[in-house]
Amino acid sequence: MANVGAALTTSPGPAHGSHRIEVRSLRAGYHGKPVLDDVSFVIEDPAVYVVLGPNGAGKTTLFRTLAGILEPYAGTVEIDGVRVGRSEAQTRIQYLSHIDGIPDALRVEEALRFYATVEGVGDREVEAVVRKLGIEELRGRFFSELSAGQKKRVSIARVFLQERGIYLLDEPTSNLDPKLAREIRDLVLGLSRADLVLYSSHNLFEAKEIGTYVLALKNGKVGYFGRLADLKPTKYVIGIRAEGAEGILPASSRKGEYYLHELAGPEEVPKLVAELAAKGVRIREVKEMENPLEDLFL
Amino acid sequence: MATGSAAPRSTPLPSLTWTTIRRTAAMGRLYLILGAGISLLLTVILVSRTPAAFQTTFPLEVPLFATLASIGGLITFSSDRTKGVFEYLIAYGVRPRTLFLNGLLATAALASVVLGVALAMGLGLASARGVPIPWSMQEALLLYTVPMCYAGSLFTATVGMIWSSVSTPRSGMNSPVGIAPTVGIAPILLVLLAAEGAPSADYYYITVGAALAILAAVVVLLVMSARLMSRERFLSPL
Repeated sequence: MANVGAALTTSPGPAHGSHRIEVRSLRAGYHGKPVLDDVSFVIEDPAVYVVLGPNGAGKTTLFRTLAGILEPYAGTVEIDGVRVGRSEAQTRIQYLSHIDGIPDALRVEEALRFYATVEGVGDREVEAVVRKLGIEELRGRFFSELSAGQKKRVSIARVFLQERGIYLLDEPTSNLDPKLAREIRDLVLGLSRADLVLYSSHNLFEAKEIGTYVLALKNGKVGYFGRLADLKPTKYVIGIRAEGAEGILPASSRKGEYYLHELAGPEEVPKLVAELAAKGVRIREVKEMENPLEDLFL
Repeated sequence: MATGSAAPRSTPLPSLTWTTIRRTAAMGRLYLILGAGISLLLTVILVSRTPAAFQTTFPLEVPLFATLASIGGLITFSSDRTKGVFEYLIAYGVRPRTLFLNGLLATAALASVVLGVALAMGLGLASARGVPIPWSMQEALLLYTVPMCYAGSLFTATVGMIWSSVSTPRSGMNSPVGIAPTVGIAPILLVLLAAEGAPSADYYYITVGAALAILAAVVVLLVMSARLMSRERFLSPL
């Protein structure tokens, strides 16, 4: 695993949104059995914090504890200096669960109005999120009749009813088509300019694209917490899509359209490309095949 | 980014009781229609037979259908838990105890609909047809029918809500939603059979005793629920 044990605190940047999450020696779980054990970190730099980990690592448990849904067995969670679970802390958090959370037997608009009532906002905010998420055509339909992707859109719309400052988004782009996933990521990046966004995903390439920081959980503990840019892969592998490479690049290294080639680092890429071109290889594409985040799963 | 104000809410969370009742009525409308409909049909049949049949059986059958008609409370609770609605509401600051009590209030509201309709129709039809309503029947209505309508429906709802919270979600007749109504209806059915078969002198003791016993069971379950229904019991499965 790369850079395990990096700093467990992020410092506020220039666009400081004045929010802070402080977790100290947290132990939390279900029915007396801890899922998270001795988890500590402080977050205060407005950014997207990608929460990674294999299934069962404790991502959803962490989100539920930060949202005040689960009570810790031990340790403390503070939001802007207020212990989580108190109403002053709850009003600073916007939470998106991995499941839709929309009540049965309601039309889309009724469901949004239901949550608007809970949020204490009105029709104007409902109209705004309907437009923002592009769900005008869904508003009169029953939620149960929607496709998985449409349900996710409605569920995400709920998050934007009220600005909160801290966003806990548990797999927000699962079940979404690439276009909509991109739109959601853009919305999330917009939020992260001034707010704290914790974002869990199983898609490592999405995580690499959106994240500034990585919080990797492994067996209920923090395996890595730090800047994504500081993560270095244990090996540097590129994929070369080319014509005329037969006999020059080994056929055994071929994976789909790409020939895989391991180098010491990105600085060696231009030299390799020049050598191949000199040998008559017509290179169409060169791309990194390793994601440093993969190491956090191993 | 988000559309609403960033300022933390200073007003208290709105009560979701009325919203829960409306959703419960919508989700349990089939049971509500069935319960009220069959109760009314039976009332018409009883009124058209002998006065004695109406005077003794009517007070015993109404709780049966009120309990059946109020299943919507349990259906809504179970659905909200499985669909993750409770998870969101708790994140917004709604207390789990409030969610549990809202489920019970919605159940009681549905039972009230059937009770009200049945009493109005039953007593109205009897008056219209000149069937007397003796003091013993008024006593049975007051001491058995009314309390048993609420006790039976709340007993069903409480058992089902605790059961659905402590068990892995299942669907169909094998789920708490499928089985709990039987648990709630069984004692009412037993009282009906016992009171119909017993000497008339025992009618009062059987009915009032049963109502008290079920009410006591509901109180015990409610006390137990404070311990059994921990916050994590309201969460959807991972």
